Amino acid sequence: MEGDLKTFIIPNDLCRRTGLAASWTPINQMSVFAYEKRNVRQKDGPSNFASSQPSSVFLLRQHVLLFQPILRKLVNESNGAFLNLQGVISDKTLDHKSELLKLSRQYRSIVRACLEDLQDDITKVEGEDKETLQDYITIFYSIECIWHLCEILFVDTIPGNIVLPLLLDWVRFHFPKHERNAANMLSGDLIGLEANPEFWPTVIGSLLQGRVKVVRALLKQHSASDSHVFRLVDQILKAMPVYNVFSGTSVSEFNIQWRHWTVDVQSKIDAKMFVTSPNLNLIMRLVVGEETAWTEIQSHCETWYELLAAWLFYTEPTVKIFEVGQFAKHCITKMRMRNNMKHLDRVLLAAMEFDVLQVIKEIQHMSENGWFVTHLTDLLYHAGKLSNLEKEVETFSAEKLHESFLLDYGSLLMGHKSLWQVGLSYLDFCPTEGLKAIELILPRIPLETEAKTQKILREAKNRELVHVAQSICKVQGMKSLKRGRLGNALTWALKSQDGPFTSFLADKFLHEYTKDGKLASTDLLDNLGSCMLASDRLIFLGKYYEFHKLYQSGEYKEAANLLVSLLASKIIPNYFWYVLFIEAIPLLESEEIVFSSNDTYTIIHCLEEKEDLPELKDKIEILRLAAARNLSRALTYEAQLV
Amino acid sequence: MSHNLHGTFVSQKVNKIRWRPDSFNNSHFFITGSWDDDQNTIKLWDFQENEEDDDIYPFLVATHNHNGDVTEAKFLNPDYLLASSSFGSARLIKIENKYNEISLKDEITWDHLHYFNNKECSPCNSFALYENDIVTVGEDGRINLLTAQSKLIVRRIDEADSCSLQCVIFLKHNEILTSNLRGQMKIWDLRSKEKTAINTFMLSGDHVTPTCLTFHPTQRHLIIAGDDLGSLTTWDLRHNTYPVNVLNAHEGSISEIQFHPDNPDQLFSCSSAGEIWHWSTKGKAGITMEDSNIWLAPDNIKNKLEVFTLMPNLGKPINSLDLNRNRIICGCDNEAIYLINGITLYN
Repeated sequence: MEGDLKTFIIPNDLCRRTGLAASWTPINQMSVFAYEKRNVRQKDGPSNFASSQPSSVFLLRQHVLLFQPILRKLVNESNGAFLNLQGVISDKTLDHKSELLKLSRQYRSIVRACLEDLQDDITKVEGEDKETLQDYITIFYSIECIWHLCEILFVDTIPGNIVLPLLLDWVRFHFPKHERNAANMLSGDLIGLEANPEFWPTVIGSLLQGRVKVVRALLKQHSASDSHVFRLVDQILKAMPVYNVFSGTSVSEFNIQWRHWTVDVQSKIDAKMFVTSPNLNLIMRLVVGEETAWTEIQSHCETWYELLAAWLFYTEPTVKIFEVGQFAKHCITKMRMRNNMKHLDRVLLAAMEFDVLQVIKEIQHMSENGWFVTHLTDLLYHAGKLSNLEKEVETFSAEKLHESFLLDYGSLLMGHKSLWQVGLSYLDFCPTEGLKAIELILPRIPLETEAKTQKILREAKNRELVHVAQSICKVQGMKSLKRGRLGNALTWALKSQDGPFTSFLADKFLHEYTKDGKLASTDLLDNLGSCMLASDRLIFLGKYYEFHKLYQSGEYKEAANLLVSLLASKIIPNYFWYVLFIEAIPLLESEEIVFSSNDTYTIIHCLEEKEDLPELKDKIEILRLAAARNLSRALTYEAQLV
Repeated sequence: MSHNLHGTFVSQKVNKIRWRPDSFNNSHFFITGSWDDDQNTIKLWDFQENEEDDDIYPFLVATHNHNGDVTEAKFLNPDYLLASSSFGSARLIKIENKYNEISLKDEITWDHLHYFNNKECSPCNSFALYENDIVTVGEDGRINLLTAQSKLIVRRIDEADSCSLQCVIFLKHNEILTSNLRGQMKIWDLRSKEKTAINTFMLSGDHVTPTCLTFHPTQRHLIIAGDDLGSLTTWDLRHNTYPVNVLNAHEGSISEIQFHPDNPDQLFSCSSAGEIWHWSTKGKAGITMEDSNIWLAPDNIKNKLEVFTLMPNLGKPINSLDLNRNRIICGCDNEAIYLINGITLYN
């Protein structure tokens, strides 16, 4: 690993002088700042570097290719496919095999669309950007190529294990040059086609890709096509047996036909029937699989797998899927590539050798942040291609491997400002660690607006992460409080169902009232309803507001009743007794008697209990007097009634 | 159903999507407003339909950077568009066509419309239009009255609500209805000097947050609210402020609802659970003129409505939808926009 070390220089003078420290910030960022190491023996005080100048904190983040706008399409679109795939798997009524093949193709078409976008874009930019885009194209081209081969080998159902037609398709798809040239030639000016320097390379190229009909069509356009040798070649190619699993011919029968045909062609070659045209002679030697001829045309093939498909077509047309690996190695040796295999070559070889684990190992190191390995592993896992590895490799668990990729990819996306929802849908499918990861990451997403908070809250609630939801509400409540929006803070506190926090806010309301005699957020207090029951303090606040309203609308009798029941209820915060007593004075002194003698006893009783309150010191006399006078009035009045 | 679906990935989560009105033809221009990205944008697109080619793509015409999330966007007329931002501002944007090149240009910018007392800016959550009058509401509980002709704020009601205001609509030219986080609905008279609402009522007793408000296209006194639990609540403001009926509809919170302007018995809704629905009334038989408005039927309303799913579930929130004749566009959190063509309007 040492070779992978990378050094980043933080361009800051203070950092250079003091040294650095770093800490993780949520979720995949690191903050780097100037820091001087102290030990216990040093005095606790500002360091020599302390100053009033603003200093910088540097945020470091891994460069994530997938966060490029052009690739975000891929991220989101493939997420749709991923979710469909999980849906298919959970639906037991579907034929998983054919559905998975469809989805695999969908993934490939997503990659293709992405490549097309990149190719569009590359024509619009210059310089360094162009190089970056070129790199992306290379990466996604490899992905497409590997995915296609893996689809053929691991996902597709191949009748009779006769894999060659699919391999030819694969090669044709990824090396479309010859097909394009042939099409251009055949649709263009047909006279003197062989004068085109590309004529023979195209003929050979088409031949190597097994497009015998194209070869014949091209040869027909040659000006000497009426000559004996051309007609002979055309006849031979026309008579070439092609294996088709649905034709009803058995493999052994076909092999006999094939051998007859090659023997026939070989005898014609031996009779030097084609020597007049070296190119045609070469073609004939190729179709019978003559080693020297194949060595001659190796340079026509850009890669070993192009050669492999061609070689198999003319020498082993009925090759079985599990034999491909050994032929692949053979071709690599032939092209002398064993020592300079590129990454793509290694992955393809591993796939052909059915070494799924090796394929996964290799594609992990591709620099597209795990998009490929996550989705391909997921596909292979659900296609059941990983479970048989468990028997072969010790300590290997298909589930764990599958989950670890999902977890990595999901958390990577969660770190993006905008893609967190996509990330969530991957973590959802991690059976053991997923929910825990969500539990940790979700509360760390910045809550910029209430709209976003509501969305995050919904995700938490959908996953029954009650405490996460509550803590998010609390955070939002604290934010509102800081902004001086007490009413809003209370609403969030009620949503969080946190009693102490609600009480804390209710206290705030009451404190404000003791300060300036105004109750805030009356529109909210008006409609508390059953929410009031969240905490004692809130009940008090609600009831006190009711009292306040009655008092102000002049309904003194009802106000007085409420006041007495409040005094008797013992839910009055200590700092608020004073206010209640003071507000009782005018009621005690009111013209009409509003407190009965019993009510007055309650008031006096409370007064005696609280007489030590310092704020009451200069009011206690007046209160006692008022209470006594009211008591006398009430007793006299009540005596009259008896 | 004969409609068809075209999806396009746009690399940004779309919070608002609106057709550009076109009085003579089918609209083919539309705008999208993004949210929750490092640089949010308003984009103008063209869905030019092609008779021969079945596969149609929206073609990006112009991009306009927007500070903060696009919290609401509406066209005043085909050339002017109003957009509000989570940074507390609103902008009047003109679609300019100069030398055959279409671009978006800021005409009027109202900054700091919404702010908290500690100077932090507050998101402008929504706004409503009545001809040239604009009313904006925000998380700071403030109401601003603007006009599209001037940069000045015509009227401001500070602390109109102690909770954050979520939605606003015009009931009359001088009356607006706002809804807040706790589900309190308030009616305000804009002419009144008072800083209090003339009427207050609750969405429900359980403090559910309304997420969208709309009125019936022909009967403006009929109000429907969608909320964060997925229910649709209807009021008839002529009679009283108790809901006429409550309909449990979507799984998640309802993002937007829209009546078909020419076929008022057709309603469209989308939700955070990734659903987009088309509501239609069942057969006309037996319904007299008097109770022809199905939404005012007190009970069994569910039996009288049919619901069609317009799109397979996306699994990500659908944030916005807009309707033009029989075509719907919607914008989603999977960074895609969808055109649904050929909606069947059941009559």
